[in-house]
Amino acid sequence: MKTMRKLLLRRVTEKDTHMADPLPYPGTPRWVKVSGIVALVVVLLFVIMMLIGRGGRHGPGRHIPSGGGLGGHTPPIEHGVQQL
Amino acid sequence: MTMTPGLREFVLTAHVTSSVGWLGAVIAYLALAVAALTIQDAQSVRAAWIAMELTGWFVIVPLALASVLIGVVNALGTPWGLFRHYWVLVKFLLTVFATIILLLHMPTVSYFAGVAAETDSVFLGGLRGELVHAGGGLLVLLVTTTLSVYKPRGMTRYGWRKQHEQHTVSQP
Repeated sequence: MKTMRKLLLRRVTEKDTHMADPLPYPGTPRWVKVSGIVALVVVLLFVIMMLIGRGGRHGPGRHIPSGGGLGGHTPPIEHGVQQL
Repeated sequence: MTMTPGLREFVLTAHVTSSVGWLGAVIAYLALAVAALTIQDAQSVRAAWIAMELTGWFVIVPLALASVLIGVVNALGTPWGLFRHYWVLVKFLLTVFATIILLLHMPTVSYFAGVAAETDSVFLGGLRGELVHAGGGLLVLLVTTTLSVYKPRGMTRYGWRKQHEQHTVSQP
């Protein structure tokens, strides 16, 4: 009798679980959050370097032509290796 | 839209080939820049610029575009999806970012290669820029390769919802 009751109870519990609401979204994984923070720090460092002028000629502006037929680049020194 | 197993394997092979090829080509490009900077001989620097332009336009750019396009087809044609798992989404964003930077940067390489080919003058400073671009590109590609192999767990909210919807539909 006791075993029968236990079996019945287990069936009810299984049924309840089956019909229960879906599991809630577990949230963003830690590795995504950490990677996002690292990426943000890298971007901020890059922006700061550009603002204080430590990035040299590098940066998106380097790729944008600014007229003069040289695409924004300074002409090289003839007959030699130019150290820019 | 799910592909047949045969087609899926073919697309996956093409995706791995283009992605790993891109990685290898960037390493070769980096080797040219490092060699030219180390030797600092005018003829070597000129040769490096010309070789880097050819490698860039005829190897790296096609492989990068192929990697992005085939990667999207591969993701959408399998249960992984493009926006369902964080590792797929992060990999896609990084690949698109690297491709955009590559396409924006290649005209600069062409400019320096043109100057090197037509005159006796060469730039060394430009080569340092190449180290930054190629080094950054290599880092991004190593991250995407690692993501593909380890496939870290974690579903997006959209993926979670879709999975639940499919589970509900499959239930009698």
